[in-house]
Amino acid sequence: MTAAPSTAARIRLVAGREITTRARDKGFLISSAVIVLLVLGVMVFQLLSGGSGSSTAIGTVDGGAQVEQALVRSGEQVGTEVTVTEYADTAAARQAVTDGDVDAVLVGAAGEDPQVVVESSRDGAASAIAETAVGALSVARQLGEQGVSLTPPPAISYDVLDPSTEDRGQAVVVALLGVVVLYALYILFGQFVAQGVVEEKSSRVVELLLSTMKPWQLLAGKILGLGLLGLVQIVLIAVVGVTGALALDVVDLPGQLIGTVLVVIGWFLLGYALYASVFATAASLVSRQEDLPSVLTPTTLLLVVGFIVSIQAAQDPGSTLATVTSFVPGMSPLVMPVRIAAGEAAGWEIAVSVVIMLLAIALVVRIGGRVYAGALLRTGSKVKLREALRAERV
Amino acid sequence: MLEFDGLVKSYGDNRVLQGVGFTVAPGQMFGFCGSNGAGKTTTMRIAMGLARADAGEVRWRGQALDEASRQRIGYMPEERGLYPKMKVAQQLAYFARLHGLSSADAAVAAQHWTGRLGLADRRDEQVQKLSLGNQQRVQLAAALVGRPEVLILDEPFSGLDPVGVDSLAEALLEQCRAGVPVVFSSHQLDLVERLCDAVGILARGTIVASGTVPELRAAEGGRQLRVVVPDAPTGWAGAVPGVRVVSEQRGDTLLELDAGTDDQAVLAAALRTGRVTHFGWREPTLVELFREAVAVPPAVAA
Repeated sequence: MTAAPSTAARIRLVAGREITTRARDKGFLISSAVIVLLVLGVMVFQLLSGGSGSSTAIGTVDGGAQVEQALVRSGEQVGTEVTVTEYADTAAARQAVTDGDVDAVLVGAAGEDPQVVVESSRDGAASAIAETAVGALSVARQLGEQGVSLTPPPAISYDVLDPSTEDRGQAVVVALLGVVVLYALYILFGQFVAQGVVEEKSSRVVELLLSTMKPWQLLAGKILGLGLLGLVQIVLIAVVGVTGALALDVVDLPGQLIGTVLVVIGWFLLGYALYASVFATAASLVSRQEDLPSVLTPTTLLLVVGFIVSIQAAQDPGSTLATVTSFVPGMSPLVMPVRIAAGEAAGWEIAVSVVIMLLAIALVVRIGGRVYAGALLRTGSKVKLREALRAERV
Repeated sequence: MLEFDGLVKSYGDNRVLQGVGFTVAPGQMFGFCGSNGAGKTTTMRIAMGLARADAGEVRWRGQALDEASRQRIGYMPEERGLYPKMKVAQQLAYFARLHGLSSADAAVAAQHWTGRLGLADRRDEQVQKLSLGNQQRVQLAAALVGRPEVLILDEPFSGLDPVGVDSLAEALLEQCRAGVPVVFSSHQLDLVERLCDAVGILARGTIVASGTVPELRAAEGGRQLRVVVPDAPTGWAGAVPGVRVVSEQRGDTLLELDAGTDDQAVLAAALRTGRVTHFGWREPTLVELFREAVAVPPAVAA
């Protein structure tokens, strides 16, 4: 007849079922789309709000090349890009202001009686730029009348003593964004694992499953399958994010961006292994989906605290809180990437944190596996942790 | 041979099984009977590795069942369980693969059993959308789909309508004819009597009676002889030596014969009274055998 499938084959079968079932799941597809949109949204926001700074449109009447130059130059001084439009007469220019085509109109800038037309307030960037330009034009004209010709001031070169600080800021933003994605994925996939475990218990299909395999094989297949799906998802998000960032030109140092993204993906694997095991173990204690929150809350709280600390760490990566929590298993996957991105974590610190995390995973898998095996066939009311550990294992 | 040998199991102070043992030959249909809570489910769960026996073991072809050999057993748990949101055919193919079938074979097997059990037009429906009867069929298909060498079914007939019972019975008999030993538990004793080659009755933690139904009848000491003699006077049989009258109603007489008493002597006595319209051994039904077997003996009850 047929040969019994090997352990590896069984785990593969379970993992395959998890992947195909979840990949068709509406909740999964929607949440994936939301995360990708979130990442793209953050980049577009960066593009619109920061980088090259603000811009303004100014109209002129009786202007000319000189006036336009003066406007652009005075805009540059305050970090604003100025686009200049010449209008034939004051009426057309007023209309343009009313319509919002331009923020202000400068009439007769080179003459004796310059006038600025604005829609409602004279306290705007556009009117300030116009005033500066009129001043500059007037000084230039008067100096010209005195026979003085102006040469532009010499260009200043900057000697930046710590160039990494600002770039690190960008890496920290990327890391923080990564941590948001990590947090979302831990919650999402932790829930998937937990719901899957309870579904098998509540539908009692688990008895049929355990007549063909060991509990640990079922658990391993489930965690590996969903983990693979999670990995595919985070890599997809990373690819979309990095490609988008490069295409939109919102990052200055692509190498650093990719490095940070890889660090985040690495920590995803560590954190997922821990949280998925804890969630599965906790979920095996209950038999109804309604009872899930009561057993998942302690772990979820740890996740939330880690998330909050990581945001705090982004502002002050050298703080004691950030340093300490970057070693705490469960919180380290959220805090450490931020510290690494900020350049605050020494190599040995990262190594120690990873080792602690690996030890924690080993411990959770060992104890969790026993609890899972002991609790899986006890349906009905919630199983106490101690009972599950004492229960006979099949 | 599928051998259950000396299974002992206690849950706390509750000694559920106290040495349960019986044997099922290949191609034999074994009906496993017992009162509620007698330990039928525990016995089957021990065979499937879902509970651990304190002592004793279950063997198939002389080898104690282990993880690998359990792959070849089709099992239907008492607590029905399937993935509620998975489609019927997909689900069956999945279970077939867990039993070691290749992907292609599993799809064929799922197709075959859904057709065989009247689920052909339900293949692409989620299990949770099916009626209870159809879910039950899928459950049975899940036990059969892995080409089992042995079938262990806990209450497979409960919840089925007569048509469902027939198609399930036919499927099981077919498996038996192919040489598969089938063990199933049931409270429907008429069904057990009709289908099974052998019966085991579990009571008080042990098998109190087992064997073929005729064997059980033979073992049941006082067989009863029913004689209908419409014209006979009351008490006509009292004079025959070695005969005890159990009941007598207008000539319809139920007699118990001592060992060694010749039934032909009874017939002769009956004929002397006049017309004999019925003379025959009354076969106790399995229900009666069951009641007799599970009845607590006075010595134990005390």
